[in-house]
Amino acid sequence: MSAVSSTGWLYGAIQKRRNRGLGGLYLVVAAFLVLYAVLFPGILSVGGFSKFTQNWFPLALVTMAQALLMLNGGITLAIGPLVSLGAVIAATTMEGVFGVPGGFVAVALAGLAIGAVTGVIVAHLRLPAIIVTLAGSFIITGVALILLPRPGGFIPDWLSNGLAGHTPVAFLLLVVILLGWKAFLATPLGLGIYAAGDNPVGAFRSGVPVERAKVVAFALSGLLAALAGLFVAAQTGSGDPIIGTPFTLNSIAAAVLGGVGFLGGKGTMRGAICGSLLLSVMINVMFFLGFPPVAQYVAQGLIIVGAVAVPELLGAWRARR
Amino acid sequence: MTDATPLLEARQVFKGFFGNPVLKGVDIALRPGRVHALLGENGAGKSTLINLLSGALQPDSGAILVDGRPAGRFSPAAARAAGIAVVQQELSLTADLSIAENIGLGAFPRRFGLIDYAALHRGVREVCDLVGLIEPLDMPVADLALGRRQMVEIAKALYRKPRVLILDEPTSSLSAHEAGILAGLIGTLRDRGTALLYISHRLNEVQALCSHVTVLKDGGVTADQSLDGIDGEGLVRLMVGRKTGDLFPPRPAPSAGALRISVEGFSAGLVRNIGFSARAGEIVGIGGLVGQGQEDLLLGLYGAIPAGAGKAEVCGKPGLPAHVGAANAAGIVYVPADRKHEGLVLPHSIASNLILPSLGRLARGGLRDRAAETGLIADLARRLTIKGDVARPVQALSGGNQQKVALAKWLPLDPAVLLLNDPTRGVDIETKREIYLMLRAFAAEGRLVILASSDTPELVHLCDRVVILREGEVAARLSGDAITEEAIVGAAMGIDRKGAAA
Repeated sequence: MSAVSSTGWLYGAIQKRRNRGLGGLYLVVAAFLVLYAVLFPGILSVGGFSKFTQNWFPLALVTMAQALLMLNGGITLAIGPLVSLGAVIAATTMEGVFGVPGGFVAVALAGLAIGAVTGVIVAHLRLPAIIVTLAGSFIITGVALILLPRPGGFIPDWLSNGLAGHTPVAFLLLVVILLGWKAFLATPLGLGIYAAGDNPVGAFRSGVPVERAKVVAFALSGLLAALAGLFVAAQTGSGDPIIGTPFTLNSIAAAVLGGVGFLGGKGTMRGAICGSLLLSVMINVMFFLGFPPVAQYVAQGLIIVGAVAVPELLGAWRARR
Repeated sequence: MTDATPLLEARQVFKGFFGNPVLKGVDIALRPGRVHALLGENGAGKSTLINLLSGALQPDSGAILVDGRPAGRFSPAAARAAGIAVVQQELSLTADLSIAENIGLGAFPRRFGLIDYAALHRGVREVCDLVGLIEPLDMPVADLALGRRQMVEIAKALYRKPRVLILDEPTSSLSAHEAGILAGLIGTLRDRGTALLYISHRLNEVQALCSHVTVLKDGGVTADQSLDGIDGEGLVRLMVGRKTGDLFPPRPAPSAGALRISVEGFSAGLVRNIGFSARAGEIVGIGGLVGQGQEDLLLGLYGAIPAGAGKAEVCGKPGLPAHVGAANAAGIVYVPADRKHEGLVLPHSIASNLILPSLGRLARGGLRDRAAETGLIADLARRLTIKGDVARPVQALSGGNQQKVALAKWLPLDPAVLLLNDPTRGVDIETKREIYLMLRAFAAEGRLVILASSDTPELVHLCDRVVILREGEVAARLSGDAITEEAIVGAAMGIDRKGAAA
């Protein structure tokens, strides 16, 4: 009887467990959001909220792209170049015959294809992801510069206004993408990405297609990063072949802030998203408090080290008691 | 009655790695309703054979047959489809996923492409009830003790409703109670017509559960016969051609040396407020069910985890070692159970692993003294009968030989106290015997050996005294003839002696 009455119980219970250990992060994010609202009450209006989420949106996407690979036991250094390439492709294709839809398709396909090729190299040739993506980042940067040597290109105004105007479209898109991730994680392949990250041999012996999971993870990661580039192009109204550069390290920083581990299988996407929100709010708050840019970098670094160290120290302290 | 077509069969399979042949034409046939034992020393090729039978590896030549028909390209997924499940010795679990997700991994019920969590829940609940897993199904596996994870591993295999179930050392981390549940399950599955392959170093289990045996030696089959009328000694003869009595060195008459360790009101980790003392020249066994504080007792004495004591004297000095360095300076060394992670640097050579604790001592003027190092390495390799080239990486060695390296590296420090955590887990019988001889020799040299072990015969035949822990407290102290399997198991389970006898 209990099995029948508790249909759906298991999924909910597992989801609830995944919040474990994230309580502190939720609190810190909430505190920063309150501080932000106090400093800049405009965020509470529709326009202010829209602007705020538009600043956060590309970072959220690239953090997902990074966390996806870190959960699978990998990492990518090609996030920034992929964002740049996405922006460049968007800005060069949207005035073509196929217009805006053609641009979207071109960006998405480029992201998926580059990600998949990287994944095949890492999974089937068994090369370290950090080296392959480092090499990839140079190649992708080169291609972006060939396509568009200097900032320019064309993005229709209506698209810029739609995505990055005074409506919270970006936020709604993020919600849709997160729902998509939740659905993906409820598929055998989605969980397989986790399992292959933590214990690849065990997952393989359990019948998880470990290599396919890795290729899919890289392809999805590439897609998310390229789409972030398209959004950045819409935001700025043009393509810029090096605009994505800071995203590589910021995506790692945000994922780490969100508790995603470097060794695979440890952490949650909800944590990573919170990490990206925290990083985004932190940068904004420091800006409004008038920190000079150099001090912002130093503070950002200290906060990230602290975010990793504090849970470790707390754990050690608890174990000691 | 067992003449039915074998459900799973290997015929003349060959497999080699990097030019080293591991299996040289092996035949094995698993028939329905039979528990088949696979015996062999470490390095005999058992794991490789299991990997071939479960599709994790492909044979170089020869064939795997399912239901009498050759299986084409045999992958883990194809093996699962054919109804073959394996309980791995190295756990195949994902720490961050829940018990339920781990059990279903690779065989999830689906609905519209998504995992059907309701169906998963029903199926998982059923197998968990079978193996006695009462933990909440949404609990991450990371929160479980090793023995419970092993039960999850078994439930995972059962969830696949196997026609062929391969169990690779399933009891190495199980408590006696859990092992009892498993034995009952094996009987039930056999009666239902499942073909079972059972791999274990514990011969009493093999005798109790199995009716047929295949013995591997150096990649070939040396015996494939019924177990009818073969007793424990016969089994050992099949494997090594030696009597069981020879496994353990004779126990010398007790000779009390100087007091080396004496603690009162000692607490560390799970261990709460116990008294413990041991003298030079003794082998003291620490027993009990899995995870009752045995490891914490050793680590606490070693200064590796925070520990406290009302009164303590260790190696002639008052107080416990504050940290590992202090313990080493006092002549205490520790050999961990998890030799792959804690005891050795696997990719490094045998030589550099052996030399690691002595590097500082051998250095001259801050530089390494290669000549002295080479001499020491050669000496250690000879004393421990480590065969072959010491420049090979440690991971190329069998489990037993790895354990010897993990032990040997401490000898140059001339330790007064050796703390050993399950030193013979997963070690073949031949190397076990060598390790027992070594430990006896250490004791005879006046060292104190403290040995936590999950292997009851080892406690009975090797140790001068045995302390049984239960829930962090001392459940029994046994010495001399009072050390019997019944007394140890009874104390570990918390049954008083009369109750155990009944």
